[in-house]
Amino acid sequence: MAVDEAILWARIKNIVPDTLRVYTWLPSAVSIGFFQSLNLEVDLEECKRSGFDVVRRITGGGAVYHESGGELTYSLIVGEESLKTVKHFDDIQSSYAVICQGLLEGFSKLGISAQFKPINDIIVNGKKISGNAQTRRNGVILQHGTILLNTDIPTMFKVLKVSKEKISDKAIKAVEARVTTIFKEGKDGINLVDVKKSLHDGFSEALNVQFDDASLTNIESNKAVEYRERFSSPNWINQR
Amino acid sequence: MIIDSELKVPGGKLIKARLEIQGNYIQTILLTGDFFLHPEDAIFEVESSLIGSSTDLANIKEKLEKALKKKDARLLGVSPDDFINVIKKALDQAVS
Repeated sequence: MAVDEAILWARIKNIVPDTLRVYTWLPSAVSIGFFQSLNLEVDLEECKRSGFDVVRRITGGGAVYHESGGELTYSLIVGEESLKTVKHFDDIQSSYAVICQGLLEGFSKLGISAQFKPINDIIVNGKKISGNAQTRRNGVILQHGTILLNTDIPTMFKVLKVSKEKISDKAIKAVEARVTTIFKEGKDGINLVDVKKSLHDGFSEALNVQFDDASLTNIESNKAVEYRERFSSPNWINQR
Repeated sequence: MIIDSELKVPGGKLIKARLEIQGNYIQTILLTGDFFLHPEDAIFEVESSLIGSSTDLANIKEKLEKALKKKDARLLGVSPDDFINVIKKALDQAVS
């Protein structure tokens, strides 16, 4: 999370170009949305028992279980105006549709037919396979999201507390039946490297951006160290 | 008196409210959930504008809208009225 924010900072300062970052978590972790209450959304005892990290994001949206090796997280940091010249959008909702097109093309390269489901989900056969969240600062959009490769769904719902209110307007009541993974969609030969490449190509084509392979710049790394302190502070995680 | 309420917006997001009520006044308020609000720190403006406010809904609505406007805030997945409704749900519990 600190690295995502460091790239956003560097992109705002025009130190780095539009950037796509794809990563996995070690150990497994739960991220919660900026506005979420830690205690209401996460089974902290279960996380502690399992050795999972818990982190509060700078973006809104819901809680995500990032299973080490079973899930891929991406972050896309792009200038809003430059993106608009490629694909026009009027508001935040339509910018999700534009950016998520990169994910859809990525899934398509893996042989999976996915759809964007407003507000911020990607679904396959009616089930969620990816959730996404944006923040915007100084004309730069950061959208990050999760892609489920072979996440253990029962573990996901052991660590995430799902509100009864949230289930109330859903057609499928069993939460576990509303989520799918790349493996569950019959693509169990796919690995993280395949997903990473398809995401890279999908975003490049959909958004007409060329991403050069590169590591973090020193200035981004240093900024990430600075931000990491905030992300790991009790004040930040327990904020609400 | 501390009261919790939840509101799931059909086709939208979830808001959870925790209010501490003293007589006819809001002593503390926390609005949480999986909604989107840009800029994110507008939530602090909204909450602090409602602390000390009377529990009159028209008054709450006015303060909330003013706080959002002050931060030039944009909501996604919920509307200002959804915030009012989740607060109303909590206040209704307080009187019942």
